Amino acid sequence: MLVNPKGEAVAPAVDAETRASAPRRTKRKLRASALVAATAAAVLALTACGGGGGSDSKSADGKVELRFAWWGGDKRAQVTQAAIAAFEAENPNIKIKPEYGDWSGYWDKLATQVAANDAPDIIQMDEKYITEYSTRGALLDLSKYQIDTSKLDAAALDAGKGEKGLTGIAAGINAATILANPAVFQAAGVAIPDDKTWTWEDFERISAEVTAKSPKGTYGAAAYGTDEASLGVWLRQNGKSLYTEDGKLGFEPSDIAEWWGFLKELSEKKAVPSASEVVEAEAAPLDQSGLATGKNGLAFWWSNQLPALEKAAGGELQILRFPSKTGKAEDAKLWYKASQFWSASSRTKHPEETAKFIDFLTNNVKAGEALLADRGVYPNSEVREAIAPKLAKADVKVVDFIDEIKGELGEAPAAPPKGAGSIQEIVKRYTSEVLFNRLSTEEAGKKAVDEMKSAIS
Amino acid sequence: MSAIGELSTMTRRKGPMTKEEKKANGRDNKAAYVFLLPWLIGLAVITVGPMLMSLYLSFTDYNLLQPPEWVGLDNFVRMFGDARLHNSLRVTFTYVLVGVPLQLAVALVIALVLDKGLRGLPFYRSIFYLPSLLGGSVAVAILWKQIFGTTGLVNQVLAMVGIEGPGWISDPNTALGSIILLHVWTFGSPMIIFLAGLRQIPTMYYEAAEVDGASTLQKFWRITLPMLSPIIFFNLVLQIIGSFQSFTQAFIVSGGNGGPSDSTMFFTLYLYQKGFGQFDMGYASAMAWFLLVIIGAFTAINFIASKYWVFYDD
Repeated sequence: MLVNPKGEAVAPAVDAETRASAPRRTKRKLRASALVAATAAAVLALTACGGGGGSDSKSADGKVELRFAWWGGDKRAQVTQAAIAAFEAENPNIKIKPEYGDWSGYWDKLATQVAANDAPDIIQMDEKYITEYSTRGALLDLSKYQIDTSKLDAAALDAGKGEKGLTGIAAGINAATILANPAVFQAAGVAIPDDKTWTWEDFERISAEVTAKSPKGTYGAAAYGTDEASLGVWLRQNGKSLYTEDGKLGFEPSDIAEWWGFLKELSEKKAVPSASEVVEAEAAPLDQSGLATGKNGLAFWWSNQLPALEKAAGGELQILRFPSKTGKAEDAKLWYKASQFWSASSRTKHPEETAKFIDFLTNNVKAGEALLADRGVYPNSEVREAIAPKLAKADVKVVDFIDEIKGELGEAPAAPPKGAGSIQEIVKRYTSEVLFNRLSTEEAGKKAVDEMKSAIS
Repeated sequence: MSAIGELSTMTRRKGPMTKEEKKANGRDNKAAYVFLLPWLIGLAVITVGPMLMSLYLSFTDYNLLQPPEWVGLDNFVRMFGDARLHNSLRVTFTYVLVGVPLQLAVALVIALVLDKGLRGLPFYRSIFYLPSLLGGSVAVAILWKQIFGTTGLVNQVLAMVGIEGPGWISDPNTALGSIILLHVWTFGSPMIIFLAGLRQIPTMYYEAAEVDGASTLQKFWRITLPMLSPIIFFNLVLQIIGSFQSFTQAFIVSGGNGGPSDSTMFFTLYLYQKGFGQFDMGYASAMAWFLLVIIGAFTAINFIASKYWVFYDD
């Protein structure tokens, strides 16, 4: 029986005797041609290896080739390609090769690439991972290169600074928001709440009302608990925080238990989808999300995601502040977050050119005109003004919202410590334990906090 | 003669060779090595090299970004206290111990039916084999996810008869079952092997049994099963090894996180998460070697137990 390495049977056993009794002369002929075939196969195998490995960053015509990796959907790919084209037009000697994919695969791939000494030159970085990568020496200190940071908002610039220098430059400014789908509210005959005065009780009541007045399978709100951003808001409103300045957890098991307690209440009143539906929704990409498909009236998103979501929903969406405990907008305790960072690999062979590209993305109006508000509001005030007339309606909404909440912001939160990249997964897992009633909120709180502590220690 | 029996007789041939024979043998060997060269290079570069590297890494603390640091047996000691690892073992064992026997039983039943000399046998054989080719693929896992979703095909059919089905793959109570079902569905490759085995059972045994007035069931228990036992054993060993290593289905169906609530967190998936998600490659390597030991132990037990139930007809 022949069996290939995967353990699947290839063909029934061939009789050994028939093979052995083949005439001599055909055998010799066979051997000669087989030798050629085997050699060809070996050469092919070797070249195949060569092709995948060490990329030659300088092509034959003397051009420098840089690799640029980011995560995001189709819309982001389009606008980023446009920015790359603009850069290449100004710098004919530099070629930028894009590599993009969705969020979860992105980090697995990046980790492997960095380990294999094959990291992209320009890396789109997130605050959850920047400390991880920078403290381990994987990112370039950009302050040593020609990048003008004088026009950047101070807070945005500081977010990219760490013990290893300036390892990331903010690509945009963001805020945690709740987006509303007016079509769902209209169909249910419920008014969209006033986000300057609403409380969590209002959130619960209104969501439950929308669910009750909507067709089966449509819910007033998406469940929170699939990432730590909404937990961050909740904790801040209760005088706590996700992390402390010295890189520890900023809350107790009871705090997160309380957060899950409210989620359970929402779930029991059917303000949010059932446990199974919540788990399924987690895996859906942005354009298949409950908000985009009209299955949720309210959902938790970052402000910069509004244009892409509107495109997917095929209609207008509305940005709302988070509810607060008191019903006062300034108690919502929102903050400006660096949506993403531009970082560079510390092992890039072309740091000058890499810096030049990051400088272009940060300071050049042409880059701004291509990217607009896809990665959040431009942190460079000059570019922000210059591109204002070019912004689409959806982008304007985002920029206006960011401006509007400026006076209500809470203190800037502490930077996520090393290991913070695992927190989301822990939150998500225990949220489903709670929703499926497999653990009480207290038990889940205790276990989750233990795991989080060991993740960031 | 059975496949394994054949192997043993092939190696059993001994005795002095003539000079002529030796020379021809040497030439043949050289030719064989040339043929094997691409594979040998692949084995060294893609399999043995990384394996040795992972053995070394299993004794280190390695976060992918900085050089590994020697920590001795720390990683292995940590495994004892890792509750999620224990859960992943529970999930994997359930998958193997339920999925493999179920799959082999289905494969055997279908093979028996097909062996009855259906018209258009090659057609049916191909149809039944198809899932085996597709089953491990990403596309089928995605399809599975759709079929067993809260509003998927299964629940739509159930709704027609008035049953409100759960979210099969999003409910921690049924998620693993759905993946086991996917595994059982890929019964094609053991089925093909069973079919080949059934063909090799000499008809004279059945004829003799018929003369003695044996019933169909008796023929199955007394002739088919014992004669087929080497093939069953072969399938069992292969499927157990393969199932311990399965990854794709759980990765795709659960969206990569082994959820809901770790109910589909296979050992391999947890290993992957530790290595690439949490930058704990030393620990992940140690886990890989632990899995190798488990699979080795299972295979050894299989071989020892086989003495008592596998019947070689030579």
